[in-house]
Amino acid sequence: MLKIKNLKADIENKSILKNFNLEIKPGEVHAIMGPNGSGKSTLSNILSGKKGYDVSGEVLFENKSLFDLETEERAHKGIFLAFQYPLEIPGVNTNIFLKTSLNAIRKARGEKELDAIEFLKLVKLKAQNLKFDEEKLNRQLNVGFSGGEKKKNEILQMSILNPKLSILDETDSGLDIDALKIVADGVNSLRKKDNSFLIITHYQRLLDYIKPDYVHVLMEGKIIKSGGPELALELEKKGYENFN
Amino acid sequence: MEEQLKIDFEKLLENSNFSKKNVEIKRKSFNNFIEKGFPNRRQENWKFSDLNQIISKNIKNLSFYNDLSKPNKIDQSIFIDSLEHNKIVFINGRIEKIEFDYEEKNKIEILDDLVLEKPNNNNNSLIFLNNAFVCKYFKLIVKKNYSLKKPLFIYNITNKDLVSKSINLKVDVLLEENSYLKLVELSNDKSVTNFININYNFDVQKNSILKNYKIDNNSNSNIKYYFNNINQDTNSVVEVFLLSSGSEFIKNEINCCLNGKYASAFVNGVFILNKSKHHEIKTNINHLAEYTKSYQLIKGVLEDNSKAVYQGKIFVNSKAQKTDGYQLSKAILLNDNTEFNTKPELEIYADDVKCSHGSASGNLNENLIFYLQTRGLNYQEAKKLLINGFLLDVVEKITDSEIKKLIKNIMSLKQ
Repeated sequence: MLKIKNLKADIENKSILKNFNLEIKPGEVHAIMGPNGSGKSTLSNILSGKKGYDVSGEVLFENKSLFDLETEERAHKGIFLAFQYPLEIPGVNTNIFLKTSLNAIRKARGEKELDAIEFLKLVKLKAQNLKFDEEKLNRQLNVGFSGGEKKKNEILQMSILNPKLSILDETDSGLDIDALKIVADGVNSLRKKDNSFLIITHYQRLLDYIKPDYVHVLMEGKIIKSGGPELALELEKKGYENFN
Repeated sequence: MEEQLKIDFEKLLENSNFSKKNVEIKRKSFNNFIEKGFPNRRQENWKFSDLNQIISKNIKNLSFYNDLSKPNKIDQSIFIDSLEHNKIVFINGRIEKIEFDYEEKNKIEILDDLVLEKPNNNNNSLIFLNNAFVCKYFKLIVKKNYSLKKPLFIYNITNKDLVSKSINLKVDVLLEENSYLKLVELSNDKSVTNFININYNFDVQKNSILKNYKIDNNSNSNIKYYFNNINQDTNSVVEVFLLSSGSEFIKNEINCCLNGKYASAFVNGVFILNKSKHHEIKTNINHLAEYTKSYQLIKGVLEDNSKAVYQGKIFVNSKAQKTDGYQLSKAILLNDNTEFNTKPELEIYADDVKCSHGSASGNLNENLIFYLQTRGLNYQEAKKLLINGFLLDVVEKITDSEIKKLIKNIMSLKQ
């Protein structure tokens, strides 16, 4: 599904990712763990097409180069980024935003757009599954939401858009244990044989709830070790500094 | 221009039946205008909008006499049909229709045989110009304890017959005690390069409510000045909303005196400008009694070479303890050639008051656009959604739901 070969990324002449390689097959859950400044967020930004990076190498999604696609075209193809810091958008109603987003993607795929009633039915169901306060859907997007609610809102969007590849950028940061469980349940319920996940995190904690197939350790822009879930435990024990 | 002014002024007096008293006042006003001329940037009030230059740049051979003897045909398609309303229709400065079909007749009075007010020491030369050239001067009175059942729409229409003219209108509105008026002013201009000078006087008596929505949305090359003088008595409420978008130039000046205790004024507005449009909102909110309240929220979205100005002043008299005054302005500049000038002013002589002001302007937040793009919206859609949200915040302040809906439609705002 996703193939990254020799990816290099610089920002303002500073090298962030060096020779980064990764392959994710349909249905797989990969976790990338790394210390601050190792390039984790850069990776998620590049995969979703944020401007401002000089890149080289190859990133293929379903055998097509992502570099040829705009951010929204990547979303249309089924790539979703759950933000580390979800943004507040004053004046934009959450429901309207969700509907606009879903219908933009459906339209781009040649599918029928949902009308208001169909949409509300869908969003209600998804919100209930995530224990997301429905009253918040009528508020301005993320405005006045707590950190946990913002993260849950990201997962709600993910479950409504049902992407093929979901990238979770430190979704666990700032979550208390109850919210973490809800978020993890949300992710687990979306795990299907065709849906893949790339989970970017500092801590092993989230991986107690979302069992990854593979764990990779990212240091200074490169994957220095890959393995199964046990690698996360080893990392947690030793710390990044003593790991190598 | 002075030559033309004199010729046109004499022509006006010759062709009209003004009372002796009015002729006298008109002459005084005329001389006053001749002395002062159009305002320019050397006056503090006009430092961001040099009207003298704007007129000479945009209008060739401006003339001041306008033959109002013949009626104009009313284009019915201009009327809003989505909600029932009373109508006053001006076409090219001539009053064509006054229709209060929904109201009790003896509760509304219209006077048109009024004596002009003597020019005072006012520095505003455009009021003198208005006084000198206005033909019919109207006064609308809403009687004590009467609430209009339907809103009143004033249509200010100009058609293509009108070119390079100065149009002067003067309307007084008196809301007697405990009355209620919703007034929507809609302009529709097919004319080119005229100078339209409109003078409103609102007298809002005890316990009365005035909601005034001014909508300028059709693109046109006219230069406009609206002077709104508002006097508020005890416990009265005035709500003003300005949609400042269509004309080449508009300055909306609002001078509001909160004369009675517990009077409150809400002045909100949006600029939506493109090309070379240049609009200004200038407010003077005078807190002259205790427990008065004012609130102002102005937002702008500027494109191309457009320019918006907001000068907002809150004055608090030493007697006006417990005043609550607030103003905020924000603008999104969509490219480097746009300009947003804002001058907040607080002048406070009382010690127990709550007053605040703020202003911000900047580009659209690219991080927000990126966020929306990751959710499948393209750049244009993302930009539109953000601008929509930015402006909606002000439109949501409109307290009349029917008119709010109309204005959202006019602005093609979603939600």
